Amino acid sequence: MKMKKKSVSEWVKSGDPWVWLNAGAVAISVIMVIGLLLLIAVRGLGHFWPADVVEARYELPGTQAYNIVAERVESVEVPAAQLREAGIDIPDHHQLMQRTLMKTGNRDIYGSDFRWVIDEYLTDVKRPEMLFTAERHEWGNLYGYLKSVKQDGQVVSETNDTTPTESALATWAAFESSIDRATDIFDEIHEIEKGDIGKINYGLERIRLEQRRLELNGELTPAAVADLAVERSQYDEEYKQLQQSLIDLYAKINRDTFVVQAMDGTVHELPVAKIVRAYRANAMNFGQKMAFYFAKLGEFLSAEPREANTEGGVFPAIFGTVMMVLLMTVLVTPFGVVAAVYLREYAKQGALTRIIRIAVNNLAGVPSIVYGVFGLGFFIYFLGSGIDQAFFPEALPSPTFGTGGLMWASITLALLTVPVVIVATEEGLSRIPRNVREGSLALGATKAETLWRVILPMASPAIMTGVILAVARAAGEVAPLMLVGVVKLAPSLPLDGNYPYIHLDQKFMHLGFHIYDVGFQSPNVEAARPLVYATALLLVVVIALLNLAAVTIRNHLREKYKSLEM
Amino acid sequence: MSDVKTHSIDISAMQRSQQALRIEDESVCLSVNDLHLFYGEKEALKGIDMIIPEKKVTAFIGPSGCGKSTLLRCFNRMNDLVDSCRITGEINLHDQNIYAKGTDVAELRRRVGMVFQKPNPFPKSIYENVAYGLRIQGINKKRILDETVEWALRSAALWDEVKDRLHESALGMSGGQQQRLVIARTVAVKPEVLLLDEPASALDPISTLKIEELIHELKKDFTIAIVTHNMQQAARVSDYTAFMYLGDLIEFGDTNTLFTNPSKQQTEDYITGRYG
Repeated sequence: MKMKKKSVSEWVKSGDPWVWLNAGAVAISVIMVIGLLLLIAVRGLGHFWPADVVEARYELPGTQAYNIVAERVESVEVPAAQLREAGIDIPDHHQLMQRTLMKTGNRDIYGSDFRWVIDEYLTDVKRPEMLFTAERHEWGNLYGYLKSVKQDGQVVSETNDTTPTESALATWAAFESSIDRATDIFDEIHEIEKGDIGKINYGLERIRLEQRRLELNGELTPAAVADLAVERSQYDEEYKQLQQSLIDLYAKINRDTFVVQAMDGTVHELPVAKIVRAYRANAMNFGQKMAFYFAKLGEFLSAEPREANTEGGVFPAIFGTVMMVLLMTVLVTPFGVVAAVYLREYAKQGALTRIIRIAVNNLAGVPSIVYGVFGLGFFIYFLGSGIDQAFFPEALPSPTFGTGGLMWASITLALLTVPVVIVATEEGLSRIPRNVREGSLALGATKAETLWRVILPMASPAIMTGVILAVARAAGEVAPLMLVGVVKLAPSLPLDGNYPYIHLDQKFMHLGFHIYDVGFQSPNVEAARPLVYATALLLVVVIALLNLAAVTIRNHLREKYKSLEM
Repeated sequence: MSDVKTHSIDISAMQRSQQALRIEDESVCLSVNDLHLFYGEKEALKGIDMIIPEKKVTAFIGPSGCGKSTLLRCFNRMNDLVDSCRITGEINLHDQNIYAKGTDVAELRRRVGMVFQKPNPFPKSIYENVAYGLRIQGINKKRILDETVEWALRSAALWDEVKDRLHESALGMSGGQQQRLVIARTVAVKPEVLLLDEPASALDPISTLKIEELIHELKKDFTIAIVTHNMQQAARVSDYTAFMYLGDLIEFGDTNTLFTNPSKQQTEDYITGRYG
């Protein structure tokens, strides 16, 4: 039999091209999403791995050779011509050259922590075991060889070796125990400064406001003044005690110093108190590196940021994001559902409801920054200052609700997402079979009872769908937040142990804004770049988790109210 | 008297053996006076006058679109839910006009219960479905609820089938069980009248038979009005039958007479299958 050759038109008619086109579109979307996630995951998560520290000689043609100690960050190929233009004397036979970004740290010594080197001129590359990395509370990483450890200026342990000899390891051990002691004291100091003194300041501020309030109301009797003075003196007394223990702790923490030899051979004596952790990456085996990695990752998730957000963790930002989204959900759900119920169940369907629906749908398309402007202009300047004058006159002129804060941010985002909830709820309400409504009405239930007992429970999966969409949109929104309450560094969490526990008027941190701030507003962009990826990944994960929670609830509801399609 | 015991086996035989019923002897439950109903411009009921006798089964038959379901839905004002619907005339439930101003519609619907063509249990447990009407009335005492739920499920001949899974979802039941559950749910609020709108049309023959037996049991306690497409069913279950055609009540009388000796030509044509 002769195989009939298919013509193009037959092929088109068979529908195959469509299948290919559709499958291709799906494949491209999937690849793009996975690629995006992989990129930020690799770039972000790699940051916490303890990178090897190399020591090498670097000699550019025609310049003085010098020693370099650094972590490799990234490599790129650049045209030799470009380097020649930059004034580097490169022989003519080179077309492309490998250029590597090295993190040399020691910003306090060299002025910058990164430099580019051309691999070609890097010779004698070693990974000495005694080379150590120290993360510091300020000035970024320190790289070098440990020379000695001192207590109160007296040398406790010293070494001249740069190889793992007995004396070098003994000095290292002394250094490590000194760091452990210093970090313990540091935690204690932190606890007192943040926790106890924070509480006292909060109490003093409340006394001040109370006094001002009494004064404004004309109720400031001498007795009241005396009472407040007693309270205040109690706080002052406590403060004095804490102050004394702080002085003692500071004296203790500053006892130890260490001497380090940097890559240029200079020797520096630095206080141990400044060190967060020190490690010798080149001497670590895989297991130790893994342990270190997870410790760093844990710090990232649970600690507060340091060094203008380029080091440390992002916990306040995670907390702020989640809290803002939850608050937004609590506000938007009842509001959207009530509005949808009126539109669908009570309002007379006609031109007016159609116009309202169109308006609601268009509201969903308004750029978010516009909501930010509205939130600032209406909520903060108008409502907020009104609230301040009515309820917090004692705090004026410093605003309470008359400035951006958690509540206004949540309300602004609730406004931004309410159309989504309305549309989804309306759809859910319209899908409920008429005979179920009639069944309830026929039993003597009023319309309101039918709504509460049958319709709304059955519509709850659809409502949850709306909430999911709202959460997804709100959690990733940054632009309006910048106007209504997000800051780059919040001194305290919006939820703490001080009455009234939830501080809705407080400014807060947000992961989305944190990405922007770290990536573009940071004084040290190179050092911050991996954190941008890590924070972006975290933001995706947080949103995914919030969504997952909502989806789980919805599926549970769906199972419960499986609709009666008979 | 032996036929009392065997009625569930051969209802139609028993009915044929009964003495002819006379509508004049019955006490009146619902009376309809000159009822007109319009959907927008279209007149769907064109002046209906009739009575529904107390503690009897009244069947409504007629071709599709004749207005029998519409009339049934007038008895508990279900038509109020239709925006374009307008009604003149009156319906009295024990001498009280249910279309009078100020009538408590929810109270009326509690007194005049309705079962629909498609089983419509709520997505709740079997127990909660039956207890729904009571909870609406504010009855939340567990002992009363338990008793009423059991009584209602027994009345709907469903108790033995579901007593071990009262707290499972009602949506897991078969169609026939669901319809009997809906009947139990309606019976639980102890209405005076039960309106059945083609209660068996979505069910298989065995479930249909069960529903028919149930109707026979229920008429001891309730006044029943049933709409059906199935003339055999009407003949089997009802005491009185109304034949409607294009919004008019053509003939109304005791079932035996209407099926065996109709007085109107249209009725005869319909029951002998010449149209409809």
